[in-house]
Amino acid sequence: MSLPLPSPRDEAWRWSDLSGLPALAEARPRGGVIDTSGLWLGCGGPRLLFVDGVLDEALSEPGPLGAGAVEVDSDHPLGRLARGAGWTLDLGKGHSPDATIEIVHVATGGASHVPARITLASEAQASIVETFVGDGWANRLTQVDLGDGARLMHAARLRQASGFTSLRIEGQVGTGASLVSTILAAGGAGTRIDAAVKLAAPGAFAEVGGALLARGGQRHDAAVTLRHEAPEGMSRQTWRAVADDHATASLAARVEVARHAQQTDGEQSLRGLLLRRTATVNLKPELEIFADDVKCAHGATVGELDRNALFYLASRGLPPLEAQALLTRAFVADALGRIGEAAVREAFEADADAWLGANP
Amino acid sequence: MLQITDLHAETAGKTILQGLSLQINAGEVHAIMGPNGAGKSTLAYTLGGRPGYEVTAGSATFDGADLLALEPHERAAAGLFLGFQYPVEIPGVSNLQFLRTALNAQKRARGEAELSGGEFIKLARAQANALGLDPEMLKRPVNVGFSGGEKKRAEMVQMGILAPKLAILDETDSGLDIDALRVVGQGINTIMRAPDKAVLLITHYQRLLDYVRPDFVHVLAGGRIVRSGGPELALELEREGYAEVAA
Repeated sequence: MSLPLPSPRDEAWRWSDLSGLPALAEARPRGGVIDTSGLWLGCGGPRLLFVDGVLDEALSEPGPLGAGAVEVDSDHPLGRLARGAGWTLDLGKGHSPDATIEIVHVATGGASHVPARITLASEAQASIVETFVGDGWANRLTQVDLGDGARLMHAARLRQASGFTSLRIEGQVGTGASLVSTILAAGGAGTRIDAAVKLAAPGAFAEVGGALLARGGQRHDAAVTLRHEAPEGMSRQTWRAVADDHATASLAARVEVARHAQQTDGEQSLRGLLLRRTATVNLKPELEIFADDVKCAHGATVGELDRNALFYLASRGLPPLEAQALLTRAFVADALGRIGEAAVREAFEADADAWLGANP
Repeated sequence: MLQITDLHAETAGKTILQGLSLQINAGEVHAIMGPNGAGKSTLAYTLGGRPGYEVTAGSATFDGADLLALEPHERAAAGLFLGFQYPVEIPGVSNLQFLRTALNAQKRARGEAELSGGEFIKLARAQANALGLDPEMLKRPVNVGFSGGEKKRAEMVQMGILAPKLAILDETDSGLDIDALRVVGQGINTIMRAPDKAVLLITHYQRLLDYVRPDFVHVLAGGRIVRSGGPELALELEREGYAEVAA
């Protein structure tokens, strides 16, 4: 079966490198005994473990989560490949699990496609952390529907050692509801992050952001569209891209404001950091505004570490790599700081630190 | 402790130091004074190892080792502290995080035991209090939003925490009002006036020397030391001006 993949000639995919996917799609996972120690944050809440896209029931504690066939419908080129068995979270009005939900995806080679659907009725709340490790191709589609006043905190850490992780998030945010998704790419794999979120009703809030850390020949790529379809919505996109060696980190972030979405407050902050001049950061901020009473701030900059700061740190005794790590960590701090829960934020910061190779 | 012999250095293709020699022994405080453009900051940066400052001739040894062969962070670990005329702002990095990382990197390089978080906080608080800097400011990003005086106090807090053998303080008095000048002066005395430590004060004005009394004063002009003497030389400079004394 030939895999229908988007071409780099397609504008939305021109920075992506999907060339390794056909081989991964043909490969078979190695399987074997999975060591999940160190993968759970220990939140004590519901948890699911997927190994090569298959739920490991023995090591999962689903609580309110459902597992099995998921009805999803997407026309996204990668997202639509995720069909069949996956997971769901369906919370009734005002419901909220006691603790953060953890979902760990372990890949042992090959390809896995897992759909998910999150439906929160009015005033329901949930916090979900996803962790991706291993190798192979992990492809995920997550569809989110938030009722009035519902709140979803979502965070994903992409730590696969090699292979490819692709996430597609599609969301719909109701009146006064809030969707916050923070994604950290800090592994050795290539990644593609896609998100399309509609602020569908008045006073909706949506935030999608994170940090992409790339080295070697890695390519990270995020393409996010937040669409304001109703008045008084607020959206935030805070992204930090770091590239070392010959790596490429790319961000395409788009805000759309429909004609009647007055009093929209949108903010975009895209910043790139080149740790070496052979690396590449691509930033593409886009605003498409049809309403006339809106506030949309945006900024996009690419730079290198401040030489004065590097010498200042060296003069106090920091070796070059430690100085670079400290400044790079500060650079991504804004993006990871958006994670509200301390335990989750600390885990993400620890991942970033591990990537930076400083202060284990 | 520090032996500089016939040092020549250039920056941006221009030779600034032209045969500077200076010996500083343990327990001594030296002041180098000079007009603008004499090479004062170049001397500080060259000794600190700042990229872009190149030594073309001469030598500098620190406790017998070739200082110029060391990387900037190795000079710090060897016991050299460079106080900046314009301390650098580092958004996103707190003073505590910065200084703990720096101190432990130095200790690691010297083969000493690193400080735990608790031990470090205690040390940092004590040093901040001694310099009249609100310890809460240590939680803020390095020098960001600090006034000129606060930056210089923070530099002295850094010096107190890192406990160097030799401090080279470049225009530490600039931007200080009279109260801050006294606090900083007392800080230098408390931290560095010891038989096993030494200080090189680089300054344009005499006023800091009212608080930190130097054992030796040198006049730097045209990239070399043209006159040396005791504390009275600073007063003479203040009275008669550089043009007269350096002539």
